[in-house]
Amino acid sequence: MLSVSEIRNMQMRDAFISKLYEKVKHDKDIIILSNDYGAISLDKFRNDFPDQYINAGVSEQNIISMAAGMAIAGKKVFVYSIASFIVTRCLEQIKIDICSQQLPVKIIAVGAGYAYSEDGPTHHACEDIAIMRTLDGMQIYSPSNAVMTSNLVDISLNTSMPMYIRMDKGIYSNFKEDINYDLGLDVDSLGNDLCIISTGTIHNVAIDLSRILFENGIKSTIVDLFRLKPLNTKLLSKILEDHTHVVTIEEHTLNGGLGSIVADHILDSALNCALRRFGIIEGGIYGYGVREEVRKKLGLNALDMSKSVVDWLK
Amino acid sequence: MSHSNSDEKKHNNMNQSSNTSLEILMSKSSEIRKDVVEISIAHGGHAAASLSCVEIMVTLYYSEVMNISPNNINDDSRDRYIHSKGHAENVLYSVLSDRGFFPREWINKYYRKGDCRLGGHPDKDIPGVEVTTGSIGHGLGIAVGMALSAKMDGKKHFHFVLMGDAECTEGSVWEAALSASYHKLSNIIAIIDNNAIGASDFLSNYSSLDKLEDKWKTFGWNAVSCDGHNIKDLESIFKSMIKSKSSKPNIVIAHTIKGKGVSFLENNPMGHVMGINTESEISRARKDVDGLE
Repeated sequence: MLSVSEIRNMQMRDAFISKLYEKVKHDKDIIILSNDYGAISLDKFRNDFPDQYINAGVSEQNIISMAAGMAIAGKKVFVYSIASFIVTRCLEQIKIDICSQQLPVKIIAVGAGYAYSEDGPTHHACEDIAIMRTLDGMQIYSPSNAVMTSNLVDISLNTSMPMYIRMDKGIYSNFKEDINYDLGLDVDSLGNDLCIISTGTIHNVAIDLSRILFENGIKSTIVDLFRLKPLNTKLLSKILEDHTHVVTIEEHTLNGGLGSIVADHILDSALNCALRRFGIIEGGIYGYGVREEVRKKLGLNALDMSKSVVDWLK
Repeated sequence: MSHSNSDEKKHNNMNQSSNTSLEILMSKSSEIRKDVVEISIAHGGHAAASLSCVEIMVTLYYSEVMNISPNNINDDSRDRYIHSKGHAENVLYSVLSDRGFFPREWINKYYRKGDCRLGGHPDKDIPGVEVTTGSIGHGLGIAVGMALSAKMDGKKHFHFVLMGDAECTEGSVWEAALSASYHKLSNIIAIIDNNAIGASDFLSNYSSLDKLEDKWKTFGWNAVSCDGHNIKDLESIFKSMIKSKSSKPNIVIAHTIKGKGVSFLENNPMGHVMGINTESEISRARKDVDGLE
């Protein structure tokens, strides 16, 4: 069994697949389908369990239909791919074959937001949350580090619902040990001047933002909203009721992403708090550039956001 | 080659039995075709798309081809049927109700009515329906997943998939075709209701989808063409595919006539969206299908 210290320094996908590898030893029904997409951990998986790994080729429509068929037949199917390809190209298959039939297919996708930034818009996944959250029954997880990602294996195997797991690329080793995954979010609080809600690895930027704000006398609560759907509305309301100002941070379009999820919740629950959303604004999504440059251009860095927040809270 | 008297008697008996069986299936086809017309008159739906595949459906559900019945609906060893051309729902509901999967009165009560328990396209919650369909190009890929799982688990049942020919203009069909032949899914028997017409025009006016048998063979399938209204040929082909030791997936290119049996729908490029609505259409359609007997 892998130790936490080993997992924390893995890519998120390797953390997930390595944990799944431990499960597959005892479960012949676990299947990974990929669209010709590899990973170090996947090499070990397919070498040791060749019958439970299927490279279905770059045919995303067929992969999702196949996954549905295998789930109907009782298999526990994980579809592994790059997020930009497995969400939009085969959206109808996800909607009809998986969601309308309520099949427990798990889509584990690498490349959240601008993870493949220099590869351009074809490889970016900046609309995936908005798209997937409209699908009835689809659960959405957006982990912020490798350890959290590995802990989603048990959660995914224990749900009978379809699931989308949005993973980043790279090493994200900061993690908390005492997370209650059933809650769908994790909270740290230094004070109630501001609530900062983020999802995915940009949570690290949210932590930097809270530090800068603290130096400016603003004490924040930080929420890592790693389960975007179903939303823990009860706990989120309880947190927001203690705040007058809320900020959301996401590497995703503002059209339907985390900020929209929080805005919907504030409206639906008649909460009395002002909301400022940091993310990708309309007209700025199809860009190129290394990730730091893209984030800087979009104002998605701790320093720029802190200036905006300090002005806002004056 | 000479036969003994007893061999000849046995052979004659078998032929008699086979002919009787064929007569029963032909009579059932006539009955189902009339029912499709009556369902269409009363409730709407895609009559022409259903009428082209009546004999295919009767051969599958009333001969000894498929091991599916209301009695084995939860038996894991049953064959699986996927109605990928989900828009031919009239004929599916007619056959399933006639076979006893659900009560006949459901068609009058729930087909496109009330809670639409029987909707305009088949839903997996309908007894006898394995997979939700309606958007074409999904059924074969789902069958590939089911058939691959069955093969992995050493199960012997077959997966029958009925598709339209216009459905084959969907790229997903060919993705699934490649996948099925790669995985040697001989437990798939697909059927193309090859009526040569899409939703608004003859296929030949907008696609190079001719020589279907050659196309499927090139994709690694065991492909056989036949008259899709000839039950004897259909039954013989299905049975030989079931008995075959080949590792290839199977497909029957069943040449059919869209709207078969109703003169104003037959081979009509707009037949897909035409109903049997006016008094003269209703009268004509009833006379046409009666005349087929």
